[in-house]
Amino acid sequence: MMALSLLILGLSRLELDLIYSLLYILILPGFATALLITLFIIWFERKAAARVQMRYGPLWVSRRTGGIIQLLADGIRFSFQEFILPAGADALPFVFLPGLLLSFSLMPVVFTPVAPAYAILFPAGYTLILAAAFTMIIPVLLVVLGWAADNKFSFLGSLREAYLLISYEVPFLISVASMFLVYRTLDLSFAVLEQRSLPGLLANPLAAIVFLLVVIRSTGRVPYDIVEADSELVFGPYTEYSSLMFGLVMGVPYMELYGYSLFFSVLFLAGWLPISGTGWLMGFMVPAVVTVLKALIVMCFLVFLRSVYPRFKLNRAMEVGWGWVMYLALAGLLLSVIEVAIGW
Amino acid sequence: MTYEALSQVSQEEGLIELQVGPAHAGSGHMRILVWVEGDTVVKVDPDVGFVHRGVEKLSEGRLYVKAVPMVERPSLVDTVNANLAYVEAVEALAGIKPPPRASYVRVITAEISRIISHLYGIAIFGIFLGTSTVFMWALADREPFIDLLEEMTGARITYSHIIPGGVRWELPADFGDRIETALRYLENRFNEYEKLWVKNPVVVARTQGVGRLSREDAIRLGVVGPNLRASGVKRDIRKDRPYEVYDQLDFDVPVRHEGDCYARLLIRIDEMRESMKIIRQAMKQIPDGKIVYDDYYNKMSPLFKKIYDEGRVKITQSLTSLAPPPGEAVSLVEGGRGEMFYYLVSDGTRFPYRFRSVTPSYRNLPFFTHVMPGQKLADVPAIYGSIDYFPPEADR
Repeated sequence: MMALSLLILGLSRLELDLIYSLLYILILPGFATALLITLFIIWFERKAAARVQMRYGPLWVSRRTGGIIQLLADGIRFSFQEFILPAGADALPFVFLPGLLLSFSLMPVVFTPVAPAYAILFPAGYTLILAAAFTMIIPVLLVVLGWAADNKFSFLGSLREAYLLISYEVPFLISVASMFLVYRTLDLSFAVLEQRSLPGLLANPLAAIVFLLVVIRSTGRVPYDIVEADSELVFGPYTEYSSLMFGLVMGVPYMELYGYSLFFSVLFLAGWLPISGTGWLMGFMVPAVVTVLKALIVMCFLVFLRSVYPRFKLNRAMEVGWGWVMYLALAGLLLSVIEVAIGW
Repeated sequence: MTYEALSQVSQEEGLIELQVGPAHAGSGHMRILVWVEGDTVVKVDPDVGFVHRGVEKLSEGRLYVKAVPMVERPSLVDTVNANLAYVEAVEALAGIKPPPRASYVRVITAEISRIISHLYGIAIFGIFLGTSTVFMWALADREPFIDLLEEMTGARITYSHIIPGGVRWELPADFGDRIETALRYLENRFNEYEKLWVKNPVVVARTQGVGRLSREDAIRLGVVGPNLRASGVKRDIRKDRPYEVYDQLDFDVPVRHEGDCYARLLIRIDEMRESMKIIRQAMKQIPDGKIVYDDYYNKMSPLFKKIYDEGRVKITQSLTSLAPPPGEAVSLVEGGRGEMFYYLVSDGTRFPYRFRSVTPSYRNLPFFTHVMPGQKLADVPAIYGSIDYFPPEADR
């Protein structure tokens, strides 16, 4: 296939790799897929909650498809609304941070191999560290955003974010580190190959639980929607946003969720396995779809929690974060050490 | 203290002042000024009056019977009890006594109203704690009862069903079977509430030990209704000063001693179960007879008597020309949120000289000023939701 395209288009190997890289970033699993997934997951969240709550959920925008393009309609509505810049706001960060947040929330996707072809396209040996690092930038930006809005609710929201960030990122790193111990590689592509016999979820379930908890926390899913807490803080750090900016900041947690879930499916759910192969179709497209589907299942589970739980309290969440989430993470680390010691 | 003076205080003490409301997801039709130090609430000032409509003064310019639709407007989810409290006062003034069947119909609708009110309270509590599921469930589970009353009275919420000397509608023929179906439905739903909401670990963590009001403080601050009973005080107007036919019915007054948000949630569910018991008993014991007092019926025109046989009571001159002798009267009714105190003064004309209502929500205001300080910011909506505070009822 590759040789054929080389022949027909007269492209050099390097140029073809470039096209694949762009495809990776823009189409699958990058930007276009992320948008589609966001569209789907918000629809799913609302539809699932509606089913539990004896309602219909989104319905009237394209009734035949069950209202799946409701989010597009909302987006169009947002884009026609007036953008309000609060008088006291720090204009530069206030205006630019939502876009920055969106791009940073997609950064982990770049460092998450979803197909065997990734190792050829982006020969980076430290994807585990990079993916973990880029997931952790967003909370910092959120703190800046809350401060820039010059609103007490935004400020309190970003303070909460800062507190929770510290309480939950440490267990997160420990959980990632324990997986590193199991796979003994910092390259996620190799980490996937290591899971041929046993997926990471079974190899170290404790680390997986901690990872999922931190994903719920970081992306503000219920019961950890403490930062946005509408009955206390209106909309947390995003309180002052209006129009298209509001649409952007609404989408950020879902993009973030997508990045985390891809990371999770590669680290714990054996990524594209059991599919593997070479070439355009079996080496890239099919494995990528498999990985994204695994991530989608994780996302569906996480957004469903909205129908079940109320919101945690800040001090309680921090107690839990430094308490048994931490113990769980350390137990996961111990488990990994034991597994390595007995040479499993 | 005026608002300006309070702002001054906050600047001096270096606290963050939050204006929760009047346009805030967690405030309702009121403004709550909250001063926080870090995440801890230092001081709370509930700013009421945003939905004051002057019901008391407006009633003074109206015929006694014309005030009925108005007095029930403030407590919009507990209209029957508000209506009943007003009519009790008018009847005490005018010396009218409703026939027993009318009293039973009143008790049945009042207890249905209590169930509706408690479900609404639980729904609001749910959304304040951040779960939309219980909000939707509890609001939707009011429907069987609202439908029943709608079929009977023609209105979904404001029934204006009780008039001095009787009630305006006879119970529909199959009311007994249908109310039984509705009660069974709600009983089954309680099991699901229990699983998803009452025993949910996050709910327990959010509410247990939060917003605790001791027995002594509850008595001292004059808190009423389920909130008082959740603090361990066994006071219920239906038992202590029985009105209508409550003394002929067998029911318990649930009491809890913890005095926290969780106890206030549980006591509402217990009270709904007691209300079910009352409705079932009343449906069994309800005697045959008229639903308005004899004199009223006798003075009806033949046409109105024909309409009465269909189960509807027309408003006649007996009511529009009702002019109680000079004097004053007081009525106490146990509404869904607590005791409703209504006071009427008559000067012998067809209009009340003075009308005064003290509603339970207003008497539960001390929760804001005395219970919220010292709690976390996230507990403000939790306590607000747990006391079932309804701003229009407080503002009247």
